[in-house]
Amino acid sequence: MTRTSPTSVWRWAVLGIVALVAAVALAVVLTRGPESPLTMQERVHQIASGLRCPVCQNLSVADSSSTLAHQMRAQIGRDLREGKSPEEIRASFVASYGEWILLAPPRRGINVVAWAAPVALLLGGAAAAAIAVRRWNGRRLEAPRVTGLSVDDRRLLDRELSTVRDEPE
Amino acid sequence: VTVDQERLEDSVTRHPSGLDGEAAARRRLRNRWVAVGAVLAGVVLLTALFAFGLRRDPAALDDVLVGRQAPGFDLPTLAGGGTVNLDDLRGQVVVVNFWASWCVPCRQEHSALDAAWDRYRDRGVVVVGILYNDRPANGMAFVEELGGDWPVVDDPDSATALAYGVYGVPETFFIAPDGRVAHRHIGAVDYELLAERIEPLLREEATAA
Repeated sequence: MTRTSPTSVWRWAVLGIVALVAAVALAVVLTRGPESPLTMQERVHQIASGLRCPVCQNLSVADSSSTLAHQMRAQIGRDLREGKSPEEIRASFVASYGEWILLAPPRRGINVVAWAAPVALLLGGAAAAAIAVRRWNGRRLEAPRVTGLSVDDRRLLDRELSTVRDEPE
Repeated sequence: VTVDQERLEDSVTRHPSGLDGEAAARRRLRNRWVAVGAVLAGVVLLTALFAFGLRRDPAALDDVLVGRQAPGFDLPTLAGGGTVNLDDLRGQVVVVNFWASWCVPCRQEHSALDAAWDRYRDRGVVVVGILYNDRPANGMAFVEELGGDWPVVDDPDSATALAYGVYGVPETFFIAPDGRVAHRHIGAVDYELLAERIEPLLREEATAA
């Protein structure tokens, strides 16, 4: 006869529930399929919002009402319908207008500084804060030692103090 | 005496290991200087980088196309009946001029283009006017009014203008006989500039032939 302890019953029950939930979740995902694909307009907007409108001051191609921006959006739409990927479309605009056309600089070359500097500063600041906090805590921990000298140290201290006291002024 | 006693007691209790206290304090001080130095170096470096970035004109467009193969086009002529294909003009110097009838500087530069076309048309230079953001009828009226018989074509959805990175008119591109963009000029051209740009490309043509 196998012994069934209450803990192992609980363990199996929990495992069963987890497996059931996972199976249901998987079934839901499989039957629903992937997220509904974006409409053409949404895809155009997505790409256009990452491009700088050449004739405006710091407006994206998606936000600008200029004729050029309108034509660029139309071009993005045509390219998408031709089956070009967003990367290819961005690359073609970069080829014509330069990297300037991208609202966010690509993560290579000197541009890496723009992406890495905030992360580096954040990590550096966290490290500095951690060191500072540890130092403060260390200082607080030192305080009880004043009264909690070991017997040997106390004896040593007393001896030293007594020689000081005995010294003539 | 009492002050000395206090100080001794204080130092001994604070640093039970004795005389290491002074060395430790020195080390801490050195570490602090190193940290301050590192932070200062970082700040100076970033400031230098930002200062360099600020000196660049954010509105200045890169002439990324210069030195690269000119984007091809095959566009219908305004007069109707046929197209102008850039590939067919290979081996010649091509002056691609983006213009519009509503563009005032285009009106100003028109005579210069006309003069250059007259001077160089028999020497292997083709001027191609690409209408930008305009109705073909307006473009035709402009040409009829100001003259000039170099090929003018329509760019219906500005696909060619976008491929050339045009952001306004007039803009003029000088394409070498090998099909590469040699120069880009933003704004109205004058005859001297046209001649200055065309002549060296003609010599290229001569050496290539």
